[in-house]
Amino acid sequence: MNELGLTPFLVLSAFLFACGILCFLTKRNAIGLLMGVELVLNAANINFVAFARFVPGFQLEGQVFAVIVIVLAAAEAAVALAIFLNFYNNHASVDVDDAKDLKG
Amino acid sequence: MFDLFDDNPGRLFLLATLLPLVAVVFMLSAAVVRHLLRPQVSSTKWSTLLYWFLGGDHPLKTGGYLTVATFVAAAAVSILGLVRFYEDLEAFRGSPAPFEARWAERFQWIHVGPSKNEPPATALHLGYRIDRLSALMVTMVTVVSSLIALFSLGYMKDESKDLVEDHAAHVQRRGRFGRFFLYLGLFVFSMLNLLIADNLFQVFVGWELVGVCSFFLIGFYYERRSASTAANKAFIVNRIGDAGFLVAIAILWATFGTLNIQELIEKFHEGRPAALTDSLWLIMGLGLFLGCVGKSAQFPLHTWLPDAMEGPTPVSALIHAATMVAAGVYLVGRCYPLFSPDVLLVIAYTGAITLFLAATIATVMTDIKRVLAYSTVSQLGYMMLALGVGGWTAGLFHLLTHACFKALLFLGSGSVIHGLHHEQDMRKMGGLRKKMPITAFTMLVGVLAISGTPFFSGWYSKDMILADTLGYGVVHKQHALLYLIPFFTAGLTAFYMFRLWFLTFTGKPRDHHSYDHAHESPWTMTVPLVVLAIFSLGVGWGWPAWNVEESILAHQLHEAEPSTLHHFHSEQHAAHVAHDYAGWLGLFLAASGAGIAAMIYVVGNPSKVLASKNGPLGTLFARKWYFDELYSLVIFRPMMLVGACSAAVDKRPTIGEEPVQSPIDVGTLDGMLNAIGQLMSKLGTALRASQTGSIRSYVLVLILTVVGALGMLAVLTR
Repeated sequence: MNELGLTPFLVLSAFLFACGILCFLTKRNAIGLLMGVELVLNAANINFVAFARFVPGFQLEGQVFAVIVIVLAAAEAAVALAIFLNFYNNHASVDVDDAKDLKG
Repeated sequence: MFDLFDDNPGRLFLLATLLPLVAVVFMLSAAVVRHLLRPQVSSTKWSTLLYWFLGGDHPLKTGGYLTVATFVAAAAVSILGLVRFYEDLEAFRGSPAPFEARWAERFQWIHVGPSKNEPPATALHLGYRIDRLSALMVTMVTVVSSLIALFSLGYMKDESKDLVEDHAAHVQRRGRFGRFFLYLGLFVFSMLNLLIADNLFQVFVGWELVGVCSFFLIGFYYERRSASTAANKAFIVNRIGDAGFLVAIAILWATFGTLNIQELIEKFHEGRPAALTDSLWLIMGLGLFLGCVGKSAQFPLHTWLPDAMEGPTPVSALIHAATMVAAGVYLVGRCYPLFSPDVLLVIAYTGAITLFLAATIATVMTDIKRVLAYSTVSQLGYMMLALGVGGWTAGLFHLLTHACFKALLFLGSGSVIHGLHHEQDMRKMGGLRKKMPITAFTMLVGVLAISGTPFFSGWYSKDMILADTLGYGVVHKQHALLYLIPFFTAGLTAFYMFRLWFLTFTGKPRDHHSYDHAHESPWTMTVPLVVLAIFSLGVGWGWPAWNVEESILAHQLHEAEPSTLHHFHSEQHAAHVAHDYAGWLGLFLAASGAGIAAMIYVVGNPSKVLASKNGPLGTLFARKWYFDELYSLVIFRPMMLVGACSAAVDKRPTIGEEPVQSPIDVGTLDGMLNAIGQLMSKLGTALRASQTGSIRSYVLVLILTVVGALGMLAVLTR
């Protein structure tokens, strides 16, 4: 079987990471931001799993960390969605630029 | 209780040292308790009772009596200790180690680091060491100061009143009876601590305590401007000397790793130790001596002592006789092997200059206490000179005898001043012999002793000093001044002392108002006078008494001579040979001095002499060789100038009540500070704009920074 090697995975991961950051920077919609964060987290996940596959002595740790990140992402999404829901109830908007009530 | 002293009889002297502190602590705590009770008085029976027991609103009299009691107890304990010391000297003859263990103890006080006795040292010790010299000195100090304290009970009686009128300062104030004895107790404790200390650091602590106590006591009547100035002067001049002392301590500390005097002396046993370079040895010796110069009022730092007369007279007696000034001579004596031959020569010349200057000034002073003050300076010069020329025994012997007769003379003058209601000017005295016979007679004993009359204590010690200087002069022909000056001054001493006595006690009264109100002092003042007169007469005696070389006290001191004195072997031999000549010559000069004084002030007309104007030489003496003026010109004025310049920069002269700030001040100094503040404020305003609160912009900056950092890393590591 033709071995792909580590590099394509890292390139994919970097691409996904850049997409996530770009999304995070450009979107004003709160849901959009959340999606950008998900992309960043999953880019990290791809890195973990790729290293788990190709780096000796990292098999278990890489996979465990990937699972932890998935759990973390789920928790984060839940909390963030709860915040945005409350925000929407108060402001009738999910635009993060409207969230400036506490600015001095 | 006595078990405590059986194995370590040296603790008797420790007890004597700590006893005066008991009175001090009692008075301090009584003052605090009284202050705390004051609001509660008449609320409960007990607090009222305690409050009135502690003196109520009146000065604390109990403290005065307690101080005298502790002093007397200390004197008794130290006499007991002295007896035990001499018993031990017999019992432990030939076995120095157990003897040392019985009379010296120490424990570690501060320790900073692992090594011990390796330079630089890491531990400070507290301890005492009793040898022949310190045993005698402690006994002398406790005895003399208990007599002085007893005298003070009478002399300071005015202070026990609630309201005291200070005629010199024109103020009414509360009496300070308790405070006086508080300072007195602390003073004596400090001095004793200095005497029994076994290391130089502890000596330094006592040294500074003595200095600050003298500051308190000289400035006792601090409402008087002259008194507060004199107190400052004494303190500041002493600081100059202390700086030298500190330098010496630092050098010894860094070189030998110990400050224990005995250990240091052993290191210097064979001359200069290899660890110390010649120049450091010189600096160390000069520094140590500079400390002694300050404390013992030697030229050129002698100016503070006469001004110290502003304090109450018993204080003058204490400073001049038992404590303070004795400390300098004592330290030179105790650290004798530490001085290099060059430094010893400096000591000798300093002493010679001092004794001459002070004696000449004393001949023209008209204030009875100032004559005595300058005579003290002069006698201290004799001691230093003796130490410098190798007359270790003579110098310290004179220190002990001088303590007795100078305390006597000062207390006598105090009695006169008390009897005349605080009149100190000898021009207004005269004929007081009939009014105060005991004072007159006892003071005559003191005058005879200091002049060196045969069979009085001063004869034995001064004769020895003169012989030693003559012996030194015979061996070292180029240092002839070192015996010419003391011999000449021996005549001057007799002259000014008899002048004092004649002017005060004989002739016709020159001020009838003072004379009519004069009275003999109460017993608390005359008893110390009589006791001190007996000491002044007999403290130097030996058998046979007419042989000046057979003094018991001198023999005891001779036993304690440091071993390095064998360098002075030829001088001492010459001194022994010259003793007879020196004695007769000194006697002849003293007699002629006394004779001239009698010619002028008894046979002649003293009023006329006193009224006549001083010649150029007399003016020079009366103005104290212009030392105060010189120091004022060289040190004080330039400092004032610098101060004035700074003040001109800081503030314009006061206009009206409010000080007005100068444009320089507002523009330069304040402007600079304000500019810094405003800069910060503006910077904050500018930076505030960057805190948008938008996470996206933060993340953008973060990403750009990371990318930039990685890019730089890539470029740099390529």
